[in-house]
Amino acid sequence: MAKGPGQSGIGKILLPAGAGILVLLTLFPLFSPPAYFLSMLYMVFLYVVLAESWNIIGGLAGYLSFGHVAFFGIGAYTTAFLMKQLGLSPLGTILSSLPAGLVAAMVAFLIGYPCLRLRGPYFAVITLCFAFVVHMVIQNIEIFGGVEGLWLPAMEKPISFIRAVFYEIMLGLMVAVILIFRWIEKSRLGMGLMTIKEEEEVAQTLGIHTPRLKIIAFGLSAFFPGIAGGLHAYYLAYISPEIVFDVMISILIVLMALFGGGGSWIGGLIGAVSLSLVNEFLTTFIGAEIARIIYGLLFIGVIIFMPNGIMEFLRRFGREDLC
Amino acid sequence: MSAVFILQSLISGILMGGIYALLGVGFSLTWGVLRVINIAHAAFGVLAAYIAYWFSTKLTLDPLFSLVISLPCLFFGGMILHRGLIRPITKARETIISSMVLTFGLAIVLENVMLWLWKADPRVLNPSYSGTAIFIGEVALPIPQVIAFGLAVVGISLIYLFLNQTHTGKAVQATWQEQEGAALMGINLNRVSQITFGLAIAAAGLGGVAMAMMYTFDPPVHNFWLIYMFLVVIVGGVGSILGTALAGLILGIITGLSMAFIPYQWINVLTFGLLIVILLIRPQGLFKTGV
Repeated sequence: MAKGPGQSGIGKILLPAGAGILVLLTLFPLFSPPAYFLSMLYMVFLYVVLAESWNIIGGLAGYLSFGHVAFFGIGAYTTAFLMKQLGLSPLGTILSSLPAGLVAAMVAFLIGYPCLRLRGPYFAVITLCFAFVVHMVIQNIEIFGGVEGLWLPAMEKPISFIRAVFYEIMLGLMVAVILIFRWIEKSRLGMGLMTIKEEEEVAQTLGIHTPRLKIIAFGLSAFFPGIAGGLHAYYLAYISPEIVFDVMISILIVLMALFGGGGSWIGGLIGAVSLSLVNEFLTTFIGAEIARIIYGLLFIGVIIFMPNGIMEFLRRFGREDLC
Repeated sequence: MSAVFILQSLISGILMGGIYALLGVGFSLTWGVLRVINIAHAAFGVLAAYIAYWFSTKLTLDPLFSLVISLPCLFFGGMILHRGLIRPITKARETIISSMVLTFGLAIVLENVMLWLWKADPRVLNPSYSGTAIFIGEVALPIPQVIAFGLAVVGISLIYLFLNQTHTGKAVQATWQEQEGAALMGINLNRVSQITFGLAIAAAGLGGVAMAMMYTFDPPVHNFWLIYMFLVVIVGGVGSILGTALAGLILGIITGLSMAFIPYQWINVLTFGLLIVILLIRPQGLFKTGV
């Protein structure tokens, strides 16, 4: 089990270093960098949010959700829907990502109640199918714009300002999710989840109410992607089922967490940052299809050469202190 | 609602069910024997469908002729894939999960290669007999669907006979039941798994062509086939051939009949609901018997 960085030697360096990086990141938009860098980093933050949220159920409890994009998409559609129906102001739209997160969490409760009773591959495949089905449902409901999707009126501000605003909000959300993940990790909830991952029967005999813990974890891990989806809908100003329910996103999340090793916040962070940067570069500089082919190959490579994540891969080379 | 209409829906349901079963058989075998969930399974089916499409448009031959080439290619391709990709991951901590991520990567590669080669437009196999049907009383049996069902029956029977009548097939069964025991009896696990994987991929190809006889297809369609396959395998029990065949028919009848009452696009939602209910009642499958 990965120790919290606070306890090991490297943790003493990590904390001030992390704080320093954070301050630099926060101040970055003030130097009026090209909008491209802001949107690129925004995407990185978004993926960190998704991967760390996934880590709550996937990493800590070992329940691998292959359909997490559903919650992201549900959040996106909730915000778009609220904005259209209520004619929300820009600030109102940004705030409406909170109810969007709640809707996503509620769906997670509903779907989690039956699905979390399934283990291992059954859970993985049923969540995967769930994401396809949500995609289909949204696509067939008139009020959500069907296949064409929905347009959201953009903020009437210069593009660099809008980019900077979303950059800061997503950065804030990312920090919040990381802190919450670390808090969960050390809480009774986290301990319970880790016991479930090791041996669910033992957890039950120890008096851990496993169904309740799992559903709380699943709800939390859907809440933040819901918020992120709501924000992203406004950021894009246009959403369609193809975009926000893209199964690629689901799988990227799993791959990021697995690439990092799963179960630790730093693993998720490393995985999300490195893979989303690769993703950004690939999709920016090469056509989408070729980018995806390379991505698919990357998946295969990661699993074959690092079946237990990059952290363990590094550990094998004697870097014990890193985690 | 007339009796003929119900009977018609029932029969098209049965014809459809056969194809679901054919798609599911290989998926079930790899899961049962190799402990590998092959997310890319249906993508190989789509690939075979495109090869058939290419045969009928470029060479103006019947799409069925393509099977002579595509099935052996898929069989040997599957064996090579097993050697190169599947075997290395059996050493991972959790083979099933790793195999899912790995084959997902494979599915993405296949899907996008197909998108790149054939574009995203929906295609349809257009054999000379499309649009024709045999009539039994007032009930119509469209010939392409009957042929597709015939492919399913032949495919599933061949796999069944292989497993029960040949030495290698019995070795596959033994491996499925007790891996270590099978190895102790001198069964070469690598070879058996390799053959199973090749066979499963070839069966997927046959299923894909059968599916394409009935419906339009495009590269991402394998995601939806996957839902059906998973449903069939869960209902039939992992690794059980007869269970899979029976489950396919049941699923076909249910979707066929419900198509008479609800719009087509909601069928997937219905099948997903069914999947959840069945998993909750009997996660081990409805017919947990032998192969």
